[in-house]
Amino acid sequence: MYRYDEIDREMLADRAAEFRAQCARRLSGEMTEDQFKPLRLMNGLYLQLHAYMLRIAIPYGALRSDQMRMLAHVARTYDQGYGHFTTRTNLQLHWIKLRDAPDILDDLAKVGLHAIQTSGNCIRNLTADPHAGATAEEVDDPRIWAEVIRQWSTFHPEFTYLPRKFKIAVTASPKDRAAIRVYDIGLRLHRDDENALSFEVLVGGGLGRLPHLGPVIRQRLPVRHLLSYLQAVLRVYNRHGRRDNPNKARIKILVAALGPEEFARQVEEEWELTDKASVDLPSTELARIRAGFAPTGFETLSPVSTAFEAAKTFDRAFARFARRNVLTHKVPGYALVNVSLKAIGETPGDCSADQMDVIADLAERYSMNEVRVTYEQNLLLPHVKLDDVPAVHAALSAAGLATANINLISDIIACPGLDYCALANARAIPIAQDIARRFEDPALAETIGELKIKISGCINACGHHHVGHIGILGVDKKGEEFYQLTLGGSAEDDAALGQVLGPAVAADKVAPSIDRLVEVYLRERRQGERFIDTFRRAGLPVFKEAVYAEAH
Amino acid sequence: MKALTANRLIDGEVVFWTGADWSERFAAAVLFDDNTAAEAAEARAKSQITLLVDPYLIDVAEVEGGVAPVSYRERLRALGPTNRPDHGKQAAGGADIALLAHAHGAARSKGRVDLIRRK
Repeated sequence: MYRYDEIDREMLADRAAEFRAQCARRLSGEMTEDQFKPLRLMNGLYLQLHAYMLRIAIPYGALRSDQMRMLAHVARTYDQGYGHFTTRTNLQLHWIKLRDAPDILDDLAKVGLHAIQTSGNCIRNLTADPHAGATAEEVDDPRIWAEVIRQWSTFHPEFTYLPRKFKIAVTASPKDRAAIRVYDIGLRLHRDDENALSFEVLVGGGLGRLPHLGPVIRQRLPVRHLLSYLQAVLRVYNRHGRRDNPNKARIKILVAALGPEEFARQVEEEWELTDKASVDLPSTELARIRAGFAPTGFETLSPVSTAFEAAKTFDRAFARFARRNVLTHKVPGYALVNVSLKAIGETPGDCSADQMDVIADLAERYSMNEVRVTYEQNLLLPHVKLDDVPAVHAALSAAGLATANINLISDIIACPGLDYCALANARAIPIAQDIARRFEDPALAETIGELKIKISGCINACGHHHVGHIGILGVDKKGEEFYQLTLGGSAEDDAALGQVLGPAVAADKVAPSIDRLVEVYLRERRQGERFIDTFRRAGLPVFKEAVYAEAH
Repeated sequence: MKALTANRLIDGEVVFWTGADWSERFAAAVLFDDNTAAEAAEARAKSQITLLVDPYLIDVAEVEGGVAPVSYRERLRALGPTNRPDHGKQAAGGADIALLAHAHGAARSKGRVDLIRRK
């Protein structure tokens, strides 16, 4: 995996030293909170309900074992022994003290970690397909391009004070595992008619108060022009994005107002004026970055593993784990192993320091030192030999990390909600816990099949509720927690925004409502249909009737 | 009735004004019946910039056995997160914590309204 070079290391050390001095000036009263707040936010430090929260960047969701161990160390030393992986593939620590923050940044910098680009109106930390480098579907490794954009965007002086925050996601597979249609810019690598690598560029997606799916503004962008084209998109946004109203300042509003064709025309016009050679990455530099992601150490193995097959035959729990959490690797004899952070009754995305250490050890021993974070708040060991999967499963089981529920009804996305977040209207975590407990029986969950529930505690939609097969949005009705349900959303290649089912329901009615929706699905579904397929065919009314029947 | 709350600068801990000092326990908070006195205390707190972040007044009301914040958000601040009863102020236990945990009542929190307005 790519390693930060001397320039990166100096930059991180300087940044940590600068923040130490800023904290000292705040504590001594040289700076007011209004002066200090933007500086601490630029280092990922938020003030939430109970304490400070530090958001640590995990660029394109990729971690090495030593980095995971450092996250465990920070969680154990400075927090309450756990962290929360988010839909942006970052890690949030919810019990941080301001006085410890400079020491934490020093510790993180030792392994090339930081909290840069986790707040503020800049280009934020990049996300990418978590299967990068391991799936046969991809035409190139999207991490290479995400790293190119990271190096270009970090501290970019022109794009540090954009109208609003700006998020970019990269994938290189037809199957979208990076939610690119709900990003400010979504990039999909593909091969064009001449078999050359190019990007499909989507601009203006986003969730929040005014959700939009990003339209394609350029079908084929030669990869060598990635940075000059991104610069043109950002220049048009920087010039015309609305700075008068924070609710309308995201690029999605500009693209929707101009229309995708006119926005694309303005980008092309700006791009034509650009001295591309001065912005685009030299091929030598691209080759250097590419080399950092070159596959190493794969052995030539049989595609069938006797140990793996035997474990599936003799151990029902392992067989279920293999069905739900283990995926085919591009190299014969290897597998991707999903690690669910959705144990029944636990907080979605939470991982204890001890669990982080277990995962770091497993990655070191069995997965070429690599761990990935998915936007669905799970982890992934990308390069495990099929022969080793039984041992990995046993170690995960012992650490409470072997829940076999990937993509099932209990694999729920939930933001921290009102339990932690200063902006939330309602809690999200207990709703997720209620639903997961209700569908605890793994046989029932497998019978129901793929069903993505996504819960946000406010309209900012960190829990991606708009694109859940079932979306749940917490609202504040005169100070009481209520929840609005939406159906039919998707963040994948069949992306769609959910439709509101009806009036919001009280907290204790959410899980029973999910029960009703599942009953309708099981009754109405046809052969091979997932929940969302049945919803799309049967329509909203049949589901609505089931949930609100008692009210009539 | 009102109480005065803030987060402590150095560690972010939720604190309440006792009339003489800042306490981590809501039970120690001084209760203001008089708006003028409450606003004077809030103004003074806003000048304590090396000690506090964002002091503001919250509505409190009588509940069975004592007094509690009216808004659910403020009761959560006085207790800790509901998914982890072992974390936050609630971990210490005691009659005052039990009283807050069982309190009902709903209202919007001024803390959140101010936060949105400032954004």
